[in-house]
Amino acid sequence: FPRESRLCVLVDSREISSGAEVISSLKAVHGVKVQVCSLSSSDYIVSNRLAVERRSLSELLTSANRSKLTQRIQCLHRMFERICVIVEKDRTKAGEMSRFLQRTQYYDSLLSALVRAGVRILFSSCQEETAALLKDLALVEHRKNAAICVPTEVEGHKREMLNFYLSIPNLSYLAALNMCHSFRSVREMANSSLQDLVAGAQVSPQMAAEIHRYLHYSFEEQMLPESPYVTG
Amino acid sequence: PPTAESIVVPFGHVIGNEKWRGSEIAQKLQGKVRLVFEDGLGLVDFHLSNRTCILYISEADLVAGDEFKRRLVRFRNASSLGGIIIVERTQISDQYFLAVQKLVVLELGMVLLPVANQAEAAQLITQLVIFCISGEIVREQSKDHSSNPFLRKQCSQLADPAVFRTVQQIPGVGKTKALLLLQQFGSIHRLCNASVKELELVVGQAVAQQIHSF
Repeated sequence: FPRESRLCVLVDSREISSGAEVISSLKAVHGVKVQVCSLSSSDYIVSNRLAVERRSLSELLTSANRSKLTQRIQCLHRMFERICVIVEKDRTKAGEMSRFLQRTQYYDSLLSALVRAGVRILFSSCQEETAALLKDLALVEHRKNAAICVPTEVEGHKREMLNFYLSIPNLSYLAALNMCHSFRSVREMANSSLQDLVAGAQVSPQMAAEIHRYLHYSFEEQMLPESPYVTG
Repeated sequence: PPTAESIVVPFGHVIGNEKWRGSEIAQKLQGKVRLVFEDGLGLVDFHLSNRTCILYISEADLVAGDEFKRRLVRFRNASSLGGIIIVERTQISDQYFLAVQKLVVLELGMVLLPVANQAEAAQLITQLVIFCISGEIVREQSKDHSSNPFLRKQCSQLADPAVFRTVQQIPGVGKTKALLLLQQFGSIHRLCNASVKELELVVGQAVAQQIHSF
């Protein structure tokens, strides 16, 4: 298992536009290794088991994005053992008066639901603070031996394997990455025991069982939603 | 003296520390929840259920120094209750907030929720109580968490389309070959363990070699 010694955080490519200062601050101020990749599931991954969502306060005050957020958190629950939401104050442009945002009952019920669901919540007043919080989270996870410690860039055969692993339902980007580095071939992965999967992918025993079930699932053509020949 | 013990909270009630009698929080809570005061709750300010309680840190606590930190650590060490820390984040106490958040969330692993004043705290506590109650009703009735949208739902999606997609990730395999391979071998596991000869019966020699060495 090749190991990285520096703190490492994976960042979803969409954060380049919306959270540029988070990324630059992580690199420049905190010396964290930042790997931008197409995560799609979460905004940040700071350890083998922890995903972080960055949400603006104004977005959480109104119920307009309720279903989007709900689906996102449900999806993260299937992929990650731990989830953290960072609530970030909205940026005010130069010259603009700081908007007064009224705390809503919806916001309080949202916080309550997140607390009950075991989601950790952190509050940040700007992108720089968010970066500091991400570093702190990565540091705590590092202390608990859950830090990201595999090379995050993959090429050639490993890249093909990564894409194969990423198509396994509910498998996080990091678990797929860990698999790339701990199994020499897909065959070796497919023939490994549950314990080997837990150690190789750094996932929970339940997740390993799910992967195992998936690999042994017997396919039936009739169960496809549409004939594979119809669509291009 | 009791400091952080679990107490029995009657269904739908909130038990408040005697010291909150007559406060703005108490006034705003009354009418929304059934609030009962008790002496000797020690470190805890409000019990929402048998398992969840609230510790309140006021602006004055924050400004006064580290006493509140000792209280939090004592609570954390003494209690197995789920502690929710509500903190007054005002213009004056804002400078202390980050350090408190780091202590509570990252070091002690507890929940921290900021409010601007007691009125906001009362609104927040009301929502927390609603979720405590609904959580308990659901737990008793069905052992399912479906009332909370953020909790894991059993996913009943069919695996077949996913398996079909996964096999197409093998280099040289598109939709047509993926289907032929799955028809022949049935599962990803069996496909992975097929010999080159077996694979050659389904796809060409070159692709068979590619799949085998993948």
